[in-house]
Amino acid sequence: MKKSLLTLCCSLALLPVSWAGSLAPADLYQTLRNRVFTVKDYKADVVMNIRVSFMKIPQLRGKLYFKSPDKLKLVREGGLSILPHRTANMSLAGLLPVGHVTVIDAGNEEIDGKSLRVLKVVPESDAGDIVLTKLWVDEDRMLILRSETTTRDNGTFLMNLRFGNFIAYALPDEIQLQMDVKDYKMPKGVTMDYEGNAIPEKVTTESKGRRKKGTINIHYNSYEINTGIDDAFFKEKKK
Amino acid sequence: MTLLRIELKKIFRRPRTYIAFAIVAALAGIIQLALLVDGQSFVAFAMQGLEEQFAFSGKILNGYLVTYIILQTLLVNVPQLVAIVAADEVSGEAASGTLRLLLTKPISRTRLIVTKYLASVIYTLLLLVWLAVIGLGLSLLLFGTGDMINMRSEEVVFLLQNDLLWRYAAAFGFAALSMACIAALSMLLSIFAENSIGPIIATMGIVLFLTVISTLGLPFFETLKPWLFTTHTIAWKGFFSDPVPYNAIFQSGGVLLVYTVLFLAATVYFFRRKDIQS
Repeated sequence: MKKSLLTLCCSLALLPVSWAGSLAPADLYQTLRNRVFTVKDYKADVVMNIRVSFMKIPQLRGKLYFKSPDKLKLVREGGLSILPHRTANMSLAGLLPVGHVTVIDAGNEEIDGKSLRVLKVVPESDAGDIVLTKLWVDEDRMLILRSETTTRDNGTFLMNLRFGNFIAYALPDEIQLQMDVKDYKMPKGVTMDYEGNAIPEKVTTESKGRRKKGTINIHYNSYEINTGIDDAFFKEKKK
Repeated sequence: MTLLRIELKKIFRRPRTYIAFAIVAALAGIIQLALLVDGQSFVAFAMQGLEEQFAFSGKILNGYLVTYIILQTLLVNVPQLVAIVAADEVSGEAASGTLRLLLTKPISRTRLIVTKYLASVIYTLLLLVWLAVIGLGLSLLLFGTGDMINMRSEEVVFLLQNDLLWRYAAAFGFAALSMACIAALSMLLSIFAENSIGPIIATMGIVLFLTVISTLGLPFFETLKPWLFTTHTIAWKGFFSDPVPYNAIFQSGGVLLVYTVLFLAATVYFFRRKDIQS
């Protein structure tokens, strides 16, 4: 009941935006950014699928803790947790440039039969890692459905977001993050692999050390929002 | 059955039999102690390539990983411990002058060899059970449970803790098959010697030489590798892959079984023709 009322209130709050027609790119970006940053922290029950060419990881279930703008931690009872090193890039808040930005209107694009407004956001300062962020915006619902962030040192991150039950807080039900990963290799003399009847793959100079794509799918089953999480909680514990 | 019991009594009456159990306990213990004291730096070193890109949290150095490290280290040495007993089976009798006496009993030479081999296999199985108790049991007790990260040369396999015990059971089962093959080789070498030092060293030498060829990644050896039994003795590691390469493991098991039968058949063949002088 509470949730329905909240959804209704938020929907009503957004109505003027929908009726107001297209906002200027900078205003639209600011509205989106403010909406994303209304969530200070959350705990979410998640199901995670990580697909990286050199990693075989089963589906992981756990609790994902987030604190704005860039703290993220996955906790699995009694088990190991794995997240990309730059966890900042796993939340929309972390993929939006901070400080003064230039927002460019890049027209409209159709994705899954829906016309979305495309914004290009360029940070004015060179200090951060983000060089350019491209956003695909559903103006009717005032939601970012896709973002593509190019960074200085960590490649490109493409995030697709699907919204449903938690739309009032602009929190997704599911995200799919595609990122660049570096190749991994250990000397065979150390690992002493059993190769079975597999034919060893020839390593070419082109394939050696090149970046590959990895994807992370996170399905959020439930959220507990703005309950307050201490910063110390995100500090790495001893292995 | 009586003959087997007598052979087992002979094996377990010799002090050298227990040396192998002591060595297994000492080696496993020293690895566990080293990892207890300095495991964090070991993990940090092993994970440095991965941690550039991914952050891991939780207990990486848990009992399952420690067991894997122990098995990786010890299963190279266990063949030598198997040889200590199996290579002594016939040559030891010859050295102590009891072989001729033994053959005056109404037992066929084939039956004698097969029984001696079975006794060696039982010893090998007990050694592996001991390794499981010390390696897996004690490691789980000291380091606790957790998910395991298996680092291969070109991929990393993440295994959930509730998916690991059966893999260890299967790995130990496969290790038993590998060691049974080594025991058969030792027995074969044993019938040509009058003392046990020669066949023990010969077994160690053959296993070491072929292991080096099997593990060297040189193209020159690539065509040779599938035919060496040492290439297949490490197939237990396949149970820690995802998906498990069952076809390759069965194929390796088949190769080891063929080698075991060949070694045993050759042992019987040569022993039946051997002129026993001591």
